[in-house]
Amino acid sequence: MNGPPAVSTSVPDRIGPLRRMWTRSYPALVGYALLAPLVAWIFLILFYPVGNTVLLSFTDTRIVGAPHRDVGLANYQAVLQSGAFWDATLKSIVWLAGNVLLQTAMAFAAALLLGQSWRLARQARIWVLLPWVIPTVAVAVIWQWMLNANYGVVGYILQALHVIAEPLNVFGSREGALPGTIVANAWHWFPLSAVVLFGAMQTIPRELYEAARVDGASSWGQFRFITFPMLRKVMFALGLVGGLWTFNVLDVIYLITRGGPAGATTTLPVVIYDTAFKSFRIGQAAAMSVVAIVLLAVAAALYVRFMSPRED
Amino acid sequence: MATTKSVRLARWLAWVVLVVVVLGPLFWIVASSFKNPSEIIRHVPTILPNEFYLGNYEYLFSSTRFPTYLVNSVAVAVLTMVATVVAATLAGYAMYRLRVRGSRSVGHAVLLSYMIPGTLLLVPVYVMLASVGLVDTIAGLVVVNVAFASPFCVWLLRGFFDAIPVELDEAAAVDGAGPLATLWKVNLPLLAPGLATIGLYAFIFSWTEFVLASQLIVSDDLKTLPIGLSAIMGQYNIQWGWLMAATSVTMLPVALLFAAVGRYFVGGLTTGAVKGA
Repeated sequence: MNGPPAVSTSVPDRIGPLRRMWTRSYPALVGYALLAPLVAWIFLILFYPVGNTVLLSFTDTRIVGAPHRDVGLANYQAVLQSGAFWDATLKSIVWLAGNVLLQTAMAFAAALLLGQSWRLARQARIWVLLPWVIPTVAVAVIWQWMLNANYGVVGYILQALHVIAEPLNVFGSREGALPGTIVANAWHWFPLSAVVLFGAMQTIPRELYEAARVDGASSWGQFRFITFPMLRKVMFALGLVGGLWTFNVLDVIYLITRGGPAGATTTLPVVIYDTAFKSFRIGQAAAMSVVAIVLLAVAAALYVRFMSPRED
Repeated sequence: MATTKSVRLARWLAWVVLVVVVLGPLFWIVASSFKNPSEIIRHVPTILPNEFYLGNYEYLFSSTRFPTYLVNSVAVAVLTMVATVVAATLAGYAMYRLRVRGSRSVGHAVLLSYMIPGTLLLVPVYVMLASVGLVDTIAGLVVVNVAFASPFCVWLLRGFFDAIPVELDEAAAVDGAGPLATLWKVNLPLLAPGLATIGLYAFIFSWTEFVLASQLIVSDDLKTLPIGLSAIMGQYNIQWGWLMAATSVTMLPVALLFAAVGRYFVGGLTTGAVKGA
């Protein structure tokens, strides 16, 4: 390697060109060394396996490590023709829509309250995150207990208020299980969106509200024409990341209903998990994963294309 | 004015709803955990336990595998936390302070990677861990948890690094400090809230994690709390009393940690939201 041409300056050249190159590039080298563990880690455990999934999807692997052979597109054919896969896709869409609607409403309401300036609001900014902080298994226990058909407090209160006549059987019924798990998951995740929205609301200039108030705008008018439009960017980002996270949720569903009763809560992640680890058809589960990733990517691309906030 | 009064009432009602929705369920679990076996399944529920019954907790710690699961969860969470904080801080320093070439691409990869679903990766990750003999080990679980937790941590750190004036680094450089000394002596002390934030996130991530642990851990001796609790829940005859006690104990460490450093965490999330937008 050629060093940089030895620039002769008035200062006597005490450090040679190689040495100078070293001192100049040393920080960068350190930088790459510091970056390396994380990059290697993420690549090995996250990105490389994605590629591996694609390879597995062309094989008839049943359990990990067992001999297998290539089957071409047979897994994809089986997946695309299976009613169970499309049923699960439909359930996933309902799951996603229900969660997005419920969480957005809850997060917005909470964020508006958190933005108030008195003491309770300032404290609430911290404890509101508790449902998100506690383990999912605790979330599952909480909602199974509160919505329990025999001893559940929610059913008791509703019965005492004569809202319902029969005891609730949320997770045991085909109609109730999916809405019930949606409520549990929304309760677990809405605090995160609430705090992010609250943070974004703090950046809206106070003067806008003052001006609106002078013009006689109501609270709703201020929300509708100032808060909401100013948050479009954050909501767009939250919608994208939150949507992907929500779609991929397995733990809440699996811990509460295991996909039941009779498949009522079998979303795509559940069917993939069961295919791989219950039916031991790993090749087919990999094909499902690939199809799911493609569906997600298409949905995300459409979302970005049509929902991006316009710059104005 | 009539409107102000009704607005004030609506605001109060909204706060009552928020408190009940957020804290009510948590209170209900803890209260139930101190009820005796007959009180807990009483048809007309009691708000507070009639007698302060500790039997559920005694049973939990003397006659179940719960203590083993608790120790395993603590080990996995602490190791995950330490490794994630180290990896994310070093990477964050390179990306947001030294700004080495390629930092932006790494940033994009980081964003992309926390959208990758754990379920879909379970199979290939299992295959890979099996090939190096890390399935059914605490170390294997930690390695995987760090990979899943660190992208979000790097993203969270950005706001904290940006808050430290660059002039401090430049002054250190003038004094002849290299990049490592600058990180250690100048940045790290000012980064304490950021480290608390990502440490908390990594701990919580690991403490909660169910999907990966359910397949990567096989031996009962190595199971973590979520796996152990889900097995209890799956039993035909659920013992609600000690399930409530187990859930309360499971929530306690994260609640305590959160009480201690939660405000830094909220600060990190809110600055991140502004930066990310």
